[in-house]
Amino acid sequence: MTIRVAAVGDIHLGSTSEGVLRPAVESLRDCADVLLLAGDLTRHGTADEARVVAGELADSPVPVIAVLGNHDYHGEQPEQIAEILEKQGVRTLEGEAAVLDLGGFRLGVAGTKGFGGGFPGRALEAFGEPEIKAFARRSAACADGLRAALDELKSADCDFRIALTHYSPVPETLAGEPPEIFPFLGSYLLAQAIDEGGADLAVHGHAHSGSEQGMTNGGVRVRNVAQPLIRRAFALFHVNEGSHSAEHSHSTEHSRPAEHARLA
Amino acid sequence: MTNATQNSNGTGLSMTDDTEYRIERLRHRLAHGETAELGLRIEARANAVVVYGTVATSECREEIVRLVQEELAGLPVRLDVTVAPAPADAKPRVEEL
Repeated sequence: MTIRVAAVGDIHLGSTSEGVLRPAVESLRDCADVLLLAGDLTRHGTADEARVVAGELADSPVPVIAVLGNHDYHGEQPEQIAEILEKQGVRTLEGEAAVLDLGGFRLGVAGTKGFGGGFPGRALEAFGEPEIKAFARRSAACADGLRAALDELKSADCDFRIALTHYSPVPETLAGEPPEIFPFLGSYLLAQAIDEGGADLAVHGHAHSGSEQGMTNGGVRVRNVAQPLIRRAFALFHVNEGSHSAEHSHSTEHSRPAEHARLA
Repeated sequence: MTNATQNSNGTGLSMTDDTEYRIERLRHRLAHGETAELGLRIEARANAVVVYGTVATSECREEIVRLVQEELAGLPVRLDVTVAPAPADAKPRVEEL
């Protein structure tokens, strides 16, 4: 059995973008079982733009699960944007998990927007001014939300678990962006949450000029699906039965390298 | 495809002390304007400001050109902004997991 996961981020629809996404959504009928949206669905985070996104996804032939991105927060009404999407059936996650039963195959998705903060050796510490503390604590809170959602999936008897974020959990998928802005593009705390919570795949967007492939220290594959990077309607992953790690045990460092050697 | 053009104004004006500040002001207007564009690379090099990247629509590119002309007026500019519309193909590349 093969489950087909379509994923894309950073579609950046504006208030005049009606019809832009619809052909891709329709094409999912023939090639995917689920669509994941990795944030930055809008340009300015306005309700009008969210309604355009929701309209494009209305009556999608496959279930749609999303997280919001930084652009979707710009209008300072992320709750309203999530509500507009949810009304059209788009499950919008923030520190939450969703489980889909796809013909007997249980797919778990844990999602958060995530935040910046940087990567080991160059990460922001919650020290000093209140604004710096708030930044660092926001990053930690997003990672904690992701960890809790992944923990929830542990007991949900999933066949495959995906961590869906907007910001990147690893620096590898940022390669191509100026290194100076890496702290604004992701946080290692997300990777730590993924490794500790357990996942079979991590999908994110945000880094338009980054790279498609990366991996957490724990061996979880990371894919950057920002549309300006992949230059396709969406990335498509075929999850073949048995390709996921056994018994949902992702902190078993010994089994990971062998698995990836086999899948390479 | 690269769509490179040199947009020097031909006045012979060169890089100035406030070039970096003007570039940052351009970034600010790009982010907060209609395009909400955060992904363009704008770099002050020895002889010109280079603006490059990819945007989704020709309207976005036109807006970028307009803002560049306003904010960097008098500076030599090399513009290399490509339009790559969001693809709607039904044949995405598949990765087997």
